[in-house]
Amino acid sequence: MGFGDLKTPGGLKVLNDFLADKSYIEGWVPSQADVAVFDAIPSAPSTVQCHALRWYNHIKSFQNQKGSLPGVKKPLGQYGPSGVEDNTAADSKDDDDDMDLFGSDDEEDAEAERLKEERIAAYAAKKSKKPTLIAKSSILLDVKPWDDETDMAKLEECVRSISMDGLLWGQSKLVPVGYGIKKLQIGCVVEDDKVGTDQLEEQITAFEDYVQSMDVAAFNKI
Amino acid sequence: MMALRELSSLEKSLGLKNPNKYCTQGDKKVPVLHSNNGPSLVGLVTIATHLVQEAKRPELLGGSAEHKALVQQWLEYRLTKVDGCHKDDIKTILKDLNSYLEDKVYLAGNQFTLADTLMYYGIHHIIVDLAIQEKEKHMNVTRWFDHVQHYTGVRHHLPPVVVLRNRVYTSGHH
Repeated sequence: MGFGDLKTPGGLKVLNDFLADKSYIEGWVPSQADVAVFDAIPSAPSTVQCHALRWYNHIKSFQNQKGSLPGVKKPLGQYGPSGVEDNTAADSKDDDDDMDLFGSDDEEDAEAERLKEERIAAYAAKKSKKPTLIAKSSILLDVKPWDDETDMAKLEECVRSISMDGLLWGQSKLVPVGYGIKKLQIGCVVEDDKVGTDQLEEQITAFEDYVQSMDVAAFNKI
Repeated sequence: MMALRELSSLEKSLGLKNPNKYCTQGDKKVPVLHSNNGPSLVGLVTIATHLVQEAKRPELLGGSAEHKALVQQWLEYRLTKVDGCHKDDIKTILKDLNSYLEDKVYLAGNQFTLADTLMYYGIHHIIVDLAIQEKEKHMNVTRWFDHVQHYTGVRHHLPPVVVLRNRVYTSGHH
């Protein structure tokens, strides 16, 4: 994956095509993925690359919240379309430790490429907690009952009874929302490829006797 | 009846606890919300705005004065241009939205608003029937639509529309 060299028009074109049908680099909310790519681009894309420009201006509006956007910054080679490598040279102005991985190597010869790929692989292997990288997210769900007489213990049992490949239920607590009604706040860890919030929502709201609605309270990439 | 299902989905997405009972009036089936103390509210946008206030989510109506105006503009567009439109008008609607969304992620400003929700509900039936070629032609609408339908808690009563990119049809401009 990667966008080629984001400091060249060629790389920006890859980014532009990639963003034609997406609002963000990853997922449906601004995240560190967008910050990582944003920081790698020297200046705003031209109006010819309208999708990249749209994304750039949108992410720019989140400049103040850069640090608090969800997710973890990964090397550029982890984003973008598959089948394209990342060749972006490191930015000497960038303080981010991740970028030093690419070194100050501006030459594009094959030897340097191979070394970069090796270093990326070693870095990714070191940083990730599992031997194989599986994209995971930690989701906090709010499950609301019909009224204050709903049996919350039974509701929780129903929710926990939902089992899917790639889904792990975590801690839960009851949060009062007023008028004696409590909502169930339960966390779970899901593998992005296997489980989506849509499926979770469908399965949870299927327990119509107990569950009035479900919302995603927080969604963080791990 | 579409309007009533929209309002019910909107209530769910706003996290409102007690669903309201609506009725309709006239042959256009305009939704009406009766209240115990005060006048009844008539009209999809009126009731939707009221629900947003009830849920204490004023940001959904726009942050700045400019964005508030944009939200109102698109809500009005939904009612006047989209609802009850003829087949011939569909092309115009898609063209309008596509050029507007070229440099924007959301309809009004940089945040999700009620304008996005109601426009999504409003054009769902159009997008569901679009051929892949049409979806590629109006890439920005497709992108915005796909984004909104994945946005937490909005979709509810509507089936998801699959958006697959097909590189055979590239968008016309640039």
